[in-house]
Amino acid sequence: MRRDVSQDDGIIVVQNVTKRFGDQLVLDNVSLAVEKGKTTVIIGRSGCGKTVLMKHMIVLERPTEGQVFFKGERIDHLPSRDLAEIRRHYGFCFQMGALFDSLTVFENIIFPIQQKQRITDWTAMSKLVKSKLAMVGMDGFQFQFPANLSGGQQKRVALARAIALNPEVILYDEPTTGLDPVRSDIINELILKLKNELAVTSVVVTHDMKSAYKIADRIIMFHEGRILADGDAEHIRSHPNPIVQEFINGQVSEAELAAIRLGGTCFEAQFDPQDFQPTGSGH
Amino acid sequence: MAMIEQVGGFTVQGMENLGRFARFCGRGAVCSVSALFRPRTWPLIWSQMHMIGVHSVPVIMITGAFVGMVLAIQAYDQLAGMGLQERLGVLINIAVVKELGPVLAAVMLAGRVGGALTAELGTMNVTEQISAVESMGVDPVRYLVAPRLLACVILTPLLIIYADFMGIAGGYLVSVVQLKINSAAYLEFSAQATELWDLTTGALKGVFFGGAMAIISCYKGFTCKEGAQGVGQACTEAFVGSFVTILAINFFYAVLVKSLYTTFWPIRQLF
Repeated sequence: MRRDVSQDDGIIVVQNVTKRFGDQLVLDNVSLAVEKGKTTVIIGRSGCGKTVLMKHMIVLERPTEGQVFFKGERIDHLPSRDLAEIRRHYGFCFQMGALFDSLTVFENIIFPIQQKQRITDWTAMSKLVKSKLAMVGMDGFQFQFPANLSGGQQKRVALARAIALNPEVILYDEPTTGLDPVRSDIINELILKLKNELAVTSVVVTHDMKSAYKIADRIIMFHEGRILADGDAEHIRSHPNPIVQEFINGQVSEAELAAIRLGGTCFEAQFDPQDFQPTGSGH
Repeated sequence: MAMIEQVGGFTVQGMENLGRFARFCGRGAVCSVSALFRPRTWPLIWSQMHMIGVHSVPVIMITGAFVGMVLAIQAYDQLAGMGLQERLGVLINIAVVKELGPVLAAVMLAGRVGGALTAELGTMNVTEQISAVESMGVDPVRYLVAPRLLACVILTPLLIIYADFMGIAGGYLVSVVQLKINSAAYLEFSAQATELWDLTTGALKGVFFGGAMAIISCYKGFTCKEGAQGVGQACTEAFVGSFVTILAINFFYAVLVKSLYTTFWPIRQLF
């Protein structure tokens, strides 16, 4: 599925982007416009290139071919110094949190601010950190180190850090992966809350369909480096493509099922611990 | 044909890696110089200096002391055979100050500090912390590499002075206490033979050793592959790379210093 986009179609526009790592084609002429103030969810199987696509949106990866625009300006060719300024409009929530483990929660959250300006009013800063942490339900953890927090808590702190500079766009890389259903739902609620209260544009990469249906204004199904389906939740639910249906219903395809059945479990040589035990005193 | 293709492939790959490393070095150098004039980065440099320098002092001193001591033991017989045992200090001190002190201190640092730098930055890379720094509009080379590079460049010469001092002290103690060499004669000959030039050029090597070790270790950390094996491999490569580079720099530095010395002082009396 291909659709032509122009650089002014959205806050972030990816235009005809192709990305190769050596001989491997990861993104195949992808065009996509992210609308301002909306939550766009990118779904797809593991390894299909969705995280790579998201990294292109903040130019953590540079395209082999094609262009990336932010607010109508081309950004993929900018040198790192100019990109630094653009990136301050973004918040990026990494899959594993990516909190700096040598810094406390407080220091992690003030990190982006500290790099931008010299902090003189520490009382105001501590109030700011408190408010950001309260927003993700983590107030009181200021002086803990990330290693002492659970996976869900780390993700919430990472979210608080991502919103420290009041970004216009927040990119979430698999925000609910590895969390139990209740904690996943807390993250979903937080994403909705940030969208409603701060009016941010969100791009979420996930393969958690429950989460996708809950938070998405628009869902994009990605498959083998291309966009396979694009629309709202209802459009995706009723999409005729079998690959989309298999993914959203979490079913394996007939071909994969046949391969599993044919593979069998009776092997010519089977490991049995008893074969390796001594049978008599002479052995 | 396949072989030629393979050779070509390796060459292109090698040149690409070299180019990437050269750009990393250039960026590291530029960021380090600018960090020196940015008071906001001084605390980062300071904390790296504490970790890299202060914690290395004991191990560097122990290395230096043993080098001096073993030189005394090994060289005594040859010199005593010629009746020159009182000149043992000349040999020990010149060897320690010019070569063994700086090189062994740098190799020790490559193991202790270089390994730690690669492991730390490699883990940060694998857990996406370096990408996180970048995504917040901060140059990771400026934030992570420059303080480490500066700390190594500033502190390696100072640590070499510690190694030299302990090497000289160790050599003296073994010579005088164990080998019963006359202390006054030992010191007299040593003082005559060892010049300030030797000490200064020996210690100044540390600037290059420290710089090479830091930049190689940081580069390996930044480019390490995923997983525990990736970090382990990066550490090994960083140490081997630093070690070989230190030895190579040492050789070319010796050639340069020698030619400078002979230009300024054409004839030098050994003792």
